[in-house]
Order: sequence, then structure tokens, then C-alpha cells
Amino acid sequence: MRAVFEGLFDRVRPPFEEGGKFRWAWPLHEGAETFFLTPGEKTESGAHVRDQMDMKRLMIFVVYALVPCILMGWYNIGNQAFLAEGLANQTWMDCLIRGGTAMFPIIMVSYMAGGAAELLFCIVRDHEINEGFLVTGILFPLTLPPTIPLWMVAAGIIFGVVIGKEVFGGVGMNILNPALTARAFVFFTYPAEISGAKIWDVAGPQAGQGHIANQWFGTNGAALSVDAYSGATPLLATANGPAGGDSVAILAQNNWGWMDMFMGSIPGSMGEVSAAAAIVGAMFLVVTRIASLRIMVGAVLGVVAMASLLNVLAGPESVAMMTLPPHYHLVMGGFAFGAVFMATDPCSSAATPRGRWIYGFMIGVLVVIIRVLNPAYPEGTMLAILFMNVFAPLIDHYVVKASTRRRIARMAA
Amino acid sequence: MADVVIKKGLNLPILGEATGEAVVLERPKTVACRPTEFRGFTPKVLVKEGQAVAKGTPVLASKADLRFVLRAPVAGVVKEIRRGARRVITDYIIESGGDDVAPMTKWELPALSGIEREKALEAALASGHWCALRSRPLDSIADAAVTPQSILICGTETGPLQPGANELLGDGDLEALQAAVHVLSALTDGAVHLTAMRGDVHPILKQVVGVERHTFSGPHPAGDATVQVNHVAPPTQGGVVWTIRAWDAVALGRTLLDGAFCADRVMAVVGAGAATPRVVRTVIGAPVAYVLGDTTCSSRLICGSVLSGSAVDGQGWMTYGARALHALPDTVERTLLGWAVPRLGTWSFHKAFLKGFLPSGPQDLRPGLYGGHRAIVPIGHYGDVVATPDIYPAFLFKSMFAGDLEASIELGMLDLSVEEAALCSFICPSKIDFCGLLDEGLARYEQEA
Repeated sequence: MRAVFEGLFDRVRPPFEEGGKFRWAWPLHEGAETFFLTPGEKTESGAHVRDQMDMKRLMIFVVYALVPCILMGWYNIGNQAFLAEGLANQTWMDCLIRGGTAMFPIIMVSYMAGGAAELLFCIVRDHEINEGFLVTGILFPLTLPPTIPLWMVAAGIIFGVVIGKEVFGGVGMNILNPALTARAFVFFTYPAEISGAKIWDVAGPQAGQGHIANQWFGTNGAALSVDAYSGATPLLATANGPAGGDSVAILAQNNWGWMDMFMGSIPGSMGEVSAAAAIVGAMFLVVTRIASLRIMVGAVLGVVAMASLLNVLAGPESVAMMTLPPHYHLVMGGFAFGAVFMATDPCSSAATPRGRWIYGFMIGVLVVIIRVLNPAYPEGTMLAILFMNVFAPLIDHYVVKASTRRRIARMAA
Repeated sequence: MADVVIKKGLNLPILGEATGEAVVLERPKTVACRPTEFRGFTPKVLVKEGQAVAKGTPVLASKADLRFVLRAPVAGVVKEIRRGARRVITDYIIESGGDDVAPMTKWELPALSGIEREKALEAALASGHWCALRSRPLDSIADAAVTPQSILICGTETGPLQPGANELLGDGDLEALQAAVHVLSALTDGAVHLTAMRGDVHPILKQVVGVERHTFSGPHPAGDATVQVNHVAPPTQGGVVWTIRAWDAVALGRTLLDGAFCADRVMAVVGAGAATPRVVRTVIGAPVAYVLGDTTCSSRLICGSVLSGSAVDGQGWMTYGARALHALPDTVERTLLGWAVPRLGTWSFHKAFLKGFLPSGPQDLRPGLYGGHRAIVPIGHYGDVVATPDIYPAFLFKSMFAGDLEASIELGMLDLSVEEAALCSFICPSKIDFCGLLDEGLARYEQEA
């Protein structure tokens, strides 16, 4: 099998090489060849032997780590749609079929539109295709509600790839996480589609008409007649709770227990509902040493510290969110997903061990501050991570400076 | 005395370790001096093509200091002086013949004890083994005009398949090492440090006197002289520290005690491409093909280790510094969907390969790049193989890429060893050549300084 592919690519390669007719499309050929076969190129300088780890493997492992989140989201989209229609007790197969019709068009559009932008840049700038897009292309749709119009997905991912990454020079040079840049773009440009009460109208007639997947596949008959569902996410419900209210009680009124939110049987964006799935992904990333445990633990500590502080400060007049216990914060909204997959992006996070603790901790603190103290946004994970992306170089600067000072002091001794 | 435990680093498990007693090879038909291997050495030809030389005749001298000479490893006739770009001498080839030995000053061991600096300097420069003395920072040949703050004799080797003290030192080398220690002590105002691996100290390293002993333990680069300098005697206030390996010091000492150039060289023939990995005893600058013997397949031949050694032509000659010839099989197998499958059979430093979780022995590593060139993505693993303290490799490399010399120096460019840069290259998922980057950086520093 390998020999077949080797022979095939050997035959096809010449026109794409230097002086060939399709030289301009070299990145395309290179991308296809190295998709099927590991490169046969030999070392010319430096260490004569090299590890077999490469960027493609690094990135695909992040995608593998996302599989539990994808599966949970896939099931949950269908499940939530049925719940919204009052059709409880559907089989998991029904939920998967229903969820898949909403989820996969979004993922496909994300990969296709973002991939086209990526490829265009690679051809124009004549560099090999950056496999970082494998991750961006799936992370972005997982942060979106399943009701998002597909053209918004395309616009968002193109913005994320171009402005979040390529204008800086590609993977490794970017300051912000491209997937979150894309999400922030959609969030601020089309706020009505991505936040607020409309988020879970997947079962409603408006959304049914607006969403191409629902137009194609229908929403199983009775669904279109149901439109009474309020559709708030747990975070929004808590944020809208009365002053002085008990957040846990508000959640309980909606039948959202901690365990529901931990497992992910709640409304929310496609891939981020299940903290349990994010933890499975986190374990995979930590065991394979691809993502930084320091950042994840730092973020959890930040949430626990800040939420505990606000719990203590909560009074009878304060917003209901103030009373939300730390362990609820950890499983609600996109925190778990963000802390595991977004905050740990090696390009946009802090790169020093100590810096990673600080960076992670501050993300945790900011998530809680934005959720609780900022009336405009019930969810703060995206903003907290983007904000700390911007600060990561500064944190690293001071950590590195400290070590430099130690070395200079030793040299001057 | 310090006992330094190095935790960061990597012992590369690679097939083809040399075993057994040293095989004594006959005198080769040709030998060569290769002056380009000595950073900072510009040669002046002392004996022209066609002229006869005795063993130990000075054949090349440093233009900067004519007292610093390279000597002929065998008696014979200068057959050819090959030059490369800009007429730089690449190979100074001597055809062997005859048994003439050039006379040199013969020293008695007691006379070397307490020798004056000037005399020690003269003796060492003229010994033909001065080129074994390297200077930190910059890793260039030691400059005789400078007095080093201290000198470190490195008695350790942790490079992949490289022979160490046990293979290269004999019990009869104590006198020679002691003679070298006396001379080196005279060259510095500070201490002479001697390092060994903890728990595996060669007897003569225990017996030699007049040194400060240190032990190191841990994975490669724990045995590298630069890393050891960074831990026990880092140069301060713009000064320099010299390093020499214990087996080169023995050659220096033996030359002084015998009054004749010691051109003996024990080296290991290693790697999966060598039919019989073995230890051989020959002379400095022996032909590669002659040292190598039989091979199993088409191989890349490397003087030194697969990490920091230099590739050499099969028709070429061994370098002075190399103590191993590595025959690395030169074919690279491609894997179908290799980036996405578990790869049970592939060893990796990273844990993204199933084999990384299973115990495994020596591996048949190949000279493949196994990936495309990408920008640095700091996933934090470079720091796992850099043993020099207070260096953040990803930041250092980024500033070196940007050509910011000042920031690079601040971040530790002058402290980083070639071995550490090579290990970073090995594990780099972006397939970056950090050795080349370090070389460029140091060259720019020399230029601007």
C-alpha cells in the first residue's frame, strides 16, 4: 500500500517541482503527499537524526483529544433539540442523527472555508500548509451554537485564519488563538445569533428556517410547531436571576444539577457543554505531553480562588451570580473546554513554566470576574483567554528577565 | 568539589554500540590534518607539498601565533594540500613511509610540577595537542594570549555511542595525565577542575593530584564539557575558561614525557551501518574507509556523534576531535499516514507515540527529517533537554532567528552548548536546525566583537 502511494506521488510530483508547470501549486502537492506519507527528506545539517514527531502529529493529537467533546456535543445537540420540543426519552441514535444534521454541516463549512483561506495564503506566500488549521478548523465550530447560520461560520473562520494567524506569519507567530479570534469576531459582529435567549432555538420554527441543515433534513415533523422553549443556557439563567437570589436554587428550578452540567446534558455551544469530556481530552493531552498541565491547573485554581472570594463577599443585594460556588463555575459554560483546548494553545499562551501558572491562574480569575461582575456578558471564558493571550508575552518577558538577571549576576560575580 | 545532578537531557538510544578490546590497526597509507575543524585557527603551511616529514614534524602553524603548531601524525611525504572555497586548507595529506621521529623537548614529571607559565605555554603550544584546548565562551581554540580563569579537564562522555573514559583511558596513562595537569595548572591563575561520572570514576581520575574533582550524573549532555563549565566554573566578568578532554590531556602529557609526538588514537566504530562495531587503535587523521572496515549497507559516515558530529566522505579522513566514526544507514522509510496512526514501532522522545510508554532498547534511527520545516511552536520541550541553568531555549532561539544579537547574548547564546542545540534539533517538531543557528549567532558575535 505504501509503495503504491510512493509510486503515485513520485509520478505526480515533477510538474510541481522547481521549474515545473504547476510550481505555484507546490504547497497543495506537498500537503497531499505528506498527508499520506511521512516526508522522505533527509537531514542536511544539525543533528543527523531527528525525532519522528512533527507538527502534523502534534496537531492531530489535539483533534483526537477533542473527540470526547465532539461526541458529547453531537449527542447533546440532538438531545437538547428533542427536549426543547418536549420529546423526551428519544434513543441515543435519534439524538445522534438529529445532532449530526446540525453539527456536521457547520464543521464541514469551517474546514472548507478556513482551509481555502489557508491554502490561498500558502500558495501566495509559497510555504507549506500549516497543519495548525486542523485544530482551528474544529475548535471554532465547537464553540458555536448549533443554530448559527453557515455563512457566519465561513465568515468567522476566514477572519480567524487570516487576521488571527496568517497576517502575523502563520502558526507560531500568532499572538491570539485563531479559533477564539474567529469566535470573538462572530460574537461581536452577530451578537444576536450567538448569545442570549436565541441560542437554543434549534427546535423553533425561526431557527428551523434559518438553518440550512434543518431545511435539508427537517426537524422531525412535530418539531416545527414547538416554539415555547425559553432556551437560555445555565449561565444566562443564573445571570438573569434576581438580586440576592441563590444561584444553585435558580439552576435547580431549571432542573440543572451539578452533575448534569458536569456530564454536559445542558444547552450550550456545540462542543463545550461537557466538562467530563473536556477532562478526558485534558488527560489525553497531558499524558501525551502536548498541552501544559500548568495552564489547566492554574486556570482551575484561578476560578476557585476568585469564585470563593466572591462567595464570601456576596450579600443580600448582590447579583445571584455572586453566590455561584466555584465547583459550579468549573462545569458551566465554556470554561472547561476553554481551559483545556484554548488556553493551552502553545503559540498564544505563555511559554515559560512559571509564566504558565500565572497565565492560567489569571484566566481563571478573569473568567469569574467577567461572569459575575460584568453585566454585559454572562460568559467570560473567551474574553478572559483572549485578554491573557495579549498579556502572555508580557508575563513571559518578566519571567525570562528574572532568569537573565540571575545569569548576569552569576557572570559578574 | 561539586556533585552535580543533571535532570534535563536525553540519552539517545541508538543501535550499534562498539564492544570488545581495541583492535590495533596497521599504519594507514595516508593520513590528513583537517585544520577547518578548529574554530579560530588560520593555518600557515610549514612543510610544502612533496617534502618529507618525520612523525611529529610541525606541518601547519597558526598565523596568529606561530608557536601553536599541528604535527605530522606519521613519517612520510606531504602528498597533497587540498583547498576549498577561498583557498582555505581543508585536507593536508601525508603519505606515510619511514620511521623517522622528530625530536622534541623531553620533560621529566617532577620538572613539570611547578613549571613557570611561559615554559608551560611554550611546551603546550608546541606539543601538537594545543588544538584540544577549547575556550568558553565561543567554543573556539584556546587563545594563548589570554590567561583563563580556570581549566576544566572533562573525563566524561555521554554522547550517543561515544567512547568514554573506560574505553579511552588506560591504567598506564596516569603519569601522562599528571604531566598535563601540571602544565595546565601553570597556564591558569585559577583551579584545574577534573570531572567524572558519579559511580563510574576511572581509577586514574581518582589518583591524579592537583585538581578539584567534580562528579556529574544524569542523561546527555551531563558529560559535555560546556555544560560542566556552566555548572562548576562559569566564566565571569568577560573572562574565559578553557576545557580539554581527559584523553586529549593524556596525549598532551605523553608527548611532553616521551619527547615525541603522541599520535596514537583510540576510537570507536559505531552505528547500525558498521558490520562490526568495534574499538580500534590507530593514528590521528586516519582515513575513514580504513577505520570503518566493512559496512552492512549504504551509510552516512559521521565523525563524532549523530548529534553534533560532521558528515565525512568515505574517501576522507578522521578529524582530530572525533573519537568515534558513526555509520548511519542512509535510507529513510516513509510511513503511510504516519502522522495520524499510533506508531507502535516508532521510538520518540515525545509521548505521542505508543512506543513511548513501553520499555525499549537501542533503536535503528535514520537520518530522516520526518516532517516539514515550521516556525517555532514552544510546546515547552526544548527546556527538557537543555541542562545549562537559567536558559529559556525557545526565547533564545526566537531572538537568534530575529538576529537580535544583544538579546541573544542576554538570553544565554554564549552559554548554550552545541550538544544542547543538537538535542533541541533532535526533538524539534518544527524540524529546525539549532546547531546552524548557534553557529551563525557565534560567528556574528565574533565579527561584531
